[in-house]
Amino acid sequence: METDASSFLVPVYVAYAAIAVPLTIGLARTLFKHGAVFLEDVFDGKPKLADAVNRLLVVGFYLLNLGYAALIMKAEGGRSVVEAVEVLAWKLGALLLSLGVVHFFNLYVFYRIRRRTQIALLPPPIAPQMRIPPREYASAFPAP
Amino acid sequence: MNRLTILYDATCALCVRCRDFLAQSHAYLPLELLASQAPAARERYGEVPWLGEELVVASDDGDVWIGPAAFLVCLWALRDYREWSFRLSGDVFAPLAERFFVALSSNRRSIARFFGPVRCEDGACEIPHAPRRMYR
Repeated sequence: METDASSFLVPVYVAYAAIAVPLTIGLARTLFKHGAVFLEDVFDGKPKLADAVNRLLVVGFYLLNLGYAALIMKAEGGRSVVEAVEVLAWKLGALLLSLGVVHFFNLYVFYRIRRRTQIALLPPPIAPQMRIPPREYASAFPAP
Repeated sequence: MNRLTILYDATCALCVRCRDFLAQSHAYLPLELLASQAPAARERYGEVPWLGEELVVASDDGDVWIGPAAFLVCLWALRDYREWSFRLSGDVFAPLAERFFVALSSNRRSIARFFGPVRCEDGACEIPHAPRRMYR
C-alpha cells in the first residue's frame, strides 16, 4: 500500500477527465442539434448563415467549457478513498453548475436573436383610438 | 400600414427636440414629422379633436392614436425601442406609463426649460446648434 499523500489523486483526475470531456461533447452536440431549429427560424431563407452561426456558437461552447474544466482540475487532498470521492464530487459539481450557467446564457442568446426578428413583424401594442378615412397623398413626403 | 404621420407641437421646445430624435433614429417604417400647427396638418387631420394639444400619430391607412397611446406607437416605430413599447403597454407598466406620458405632455413647456435656451418665434421653436433639417 502506498503511503504517498496524493495516491488517490491520479484516479480522481482520470475520473474527472473521463466524465468532463464526454459531458462537454454531449452537451455541445445537443446544443448544435436543437439550436439549429431556433437559428433556422431566425435566419429564415439563409440556411448557410444559420449553420455558420450555429457552428461558431458550438466552437465557443467547447473552448469555454474545456478550458474551464482544465482550469479547475487541480485538486488538493486525496489521502483516503473518502476524501478522493469528495474531491471528485466537488469538482464535478462546480463544473456542472458552471456548464448550466453557460447553457442558460446560450439559450438566452438564442431567445434574444429570435425575439429581435419576431418583434419586427408585430403590430402596434395599442389599438387606435379613432379612425379617419385613409387618403392618397399627391406627393411622396420628403425624408426627414 | 406603410408609414406613420407624427403630429407634434411645434411651439414646444421639448417636442421639437423629440422630433429631432425621431428624425435621426432608425425606424421600421417611414415617419412623416408634421407640425400640428402647419396648414397641411389642419387640412388632413382637422377632424382629430386633440390636434395641437396632444401628440397625435396617424397611419396611412387611417388609424389614429392620441396622447399616451401615440407615444407608445412612436416607440413602436423605432428599431431600438419597439421592445419598450410592448413592455410599457403590458399589464405591469401600462398604468405607470400612461401617467408618465400624460405628465410629460401636460408639463412639456416647463420641462423644456431644463434643456437650455431655445428660440420660439412665429409659432415654431428652434434648438440652437441643432442641424437644420427640412420638415413639411
